Amino acid sequence: MRNKDAFSGCHPAVNFTYFFLVLLCSMIFMHPVCLLISLACSLSYSIYLNGARAARFSLRYMLPLLLLTALINPMFNHEGVTILAYLRSGNPLTLESIIYGVAAAVMLVTVIFWFSCYNAVMTSDKFVYLFGRVIPALSLVFSMTLRFVPRFKAQAKIVSSAQKCIGRDVTNGGPLDRLKHGLTILSIMTTWALENAIETADSMRSRGYGLKGRTAFSIYRFDRRDGYMLGFFMACGVYIAAGAASHGLYWQYYPRLKGELGGLFTLSLFIVYLALCSAPLIFDLTEDRKWKYLGPTA
Amino acid sequence: MKKTGLIAALLMGLACAAFMAACGSETEKAASEPEPSGPKYHCSIEIRCDTILDNMDKLAEGKRELVPEDGLILYVDNAEFTEGESVFDVLQRECQSRKLHFEYVESKVYESAYIEGIGNLYEFDCGELSGWVYSVNGDFPSYGCALYKLKDGDEVKVLYTCDLGADVGATTNEE
Repeated sequence: MRNKDAFSGCHPAVNFTYFFLVLLCSMIFMHPVCLLISLACSLSYSIYLNGARAARFSLRYMLPLLLLTALINPMFNHEGVTILAYLRSGNPLTLESIIYGVAAAVMLVTVIFWFSCYNAVMTSDKFVYLFGRVIPALSLVFSMTLRFVPRFKAQAKIVSSAQKCIGRDVTNGGPLDRLKHGLTILSIMTTWALENAIETADSMRSRGYGLKGRTAFSIYRFDRRDGYMLGFFMACGVYIAAGAASHGLYWQYYPRLKGELGGLFTLSLFIVYLALCSAPLIFDLTEDRKWKYLGPTA
Repeated sequence: MKKTGLIAALLMGLACAAFMAACGSETEKAASEPEPSGPKYHCSIEIRCDTILDNMDKLAEGKRELVPEDGLILYVDNAEFTEGESVFDVLQRECQSRKLHFEYVESKVYESAYIEGIGNLYEFDCGELSGWVYSVNGDFPSYGCALYKLKDGDEVKVLYTCDLGADVGATTNEE
C-alpha cells in the first residue's frame, strides 16, 4: 500500500509514539500558547495529509463548533473577575468564562484534527502489527470498529443501488413507501453487519490469529532513522513532562487569567513543544524537497 | 456532500435551540420581577469571609488574592429596599451596582436562590464543608435567602463558612 506521506513510511512504533504524545499533551495542557501551537500544527498537518477536504471540514464544522462553545460556556459559567455585563438572570457575564470557552473549544477541535491525522497515518494494519501480539483480541476489535463506519457506508451505498433497480430505494414512492424501503435497507444492513462480524472472526481464527508462536508478515523495519526519531520524540516528551511537573506551563483561567508566559524555561518548553508537534510536517517537507531535487526530473 | 451539509445544519439548529432555551428560561424570570413601588425601607448588609483567613491552607489555588486582609468583602450601611423584597433581591442589587461578582442558581428543591459564589469565592473553594450562609439580626434562618422577606432596619450578614456554618455561629442551619 502506498504511504500517505513520508512520516507514514516510518516504523509504526514511531508513528504511534508520536500520536500518543501529541494527543496526550493536547488533552492535558490548557496553556493558551500550547493550545495555539497544537492547533496550528494539527491543522496544517491534516491539510497536508488530507488536502482540500480537511480545509473544507475545518471551515464547515470546526469553526461553528468553536464559536458555539465560546458562546455557550459563559451562559452557564459565571466565574471570573472581569465582569463585562449582566445576563438577564442577574448572573454576571465574565471575560474569563468566554476565554475559557474558546480555549476548551480549541482543545476539542485540535484533538479532532489530530485524530484525523492519526487515521491517515496509523492504518489499522500498523495498529494490529504493533498490538496484535500484546492484546490480540482488543486490537482486532479496535481496528474492526474503526473500519466499521466506512465499510458500513460503502455497503449501504451498494444495497441502496441494488434496491433502486427494483424501485425500492428511499427515493422511490410516497413518504410511507420511502419509510418502508428505508427500514428494509436498514434491516438488510444490520443482517450484513452481524454476519460480516462473525465471518471476520471465523476467518481470523482459521488463520490462527492470536495463537502462540504465530508470526505475521510485515514489511516494517526499524532502521536508524526510526531510532533517531523515536529518541527525539521521547526526549521531547520527557522534557515537556518535567517542565509541566515543575509548573513551567502553569496557567489559570479562573478567577483571573494568569500564568507562566515569559520565563526562559517556559519559552524553551514552548519551543520543544512546537518541535514535537511540527516534527512530521517538517520531516515530510524536507523529504518532498529531496525528491524534488534528486528526483528523475533533475 | 449535500447530505453532510444538511446534517451539519441540523446539528447547528439543535445547538441553537438549546442555546435559546437557556436564554428563554432566564428572560422569563426577569419579567416576573416586581416593580419597586411604595415606601422605602433600609437595612444593613455585611459580606465577610473571615473564616477563610483561618483556613488559608485549604483555599483553592489562585484564590488567595481574592481574600481581603480584614475579611470584609462588602459593607453597606443603609441599603434601600421596598415592601416584600427578600434578602436575595437586596443582595443581588447591591452587588450588581458595585460590580461585585455574585453568582447564584435557582434551587428547585428549596424553591429559593442558592448563592454559589461572591467575589469569585465559591462554595467548596475552602474545603468540602465551605460555602456561603446568611443571618438576619444574628439569627440563621433555615430556609433560602430568596424566601426571607426583609423588615425595616434588619441587619443582614452573609458569611463564608469553612465548616457548614459551625465556625460562624450557625448551629444547625445551612443556607
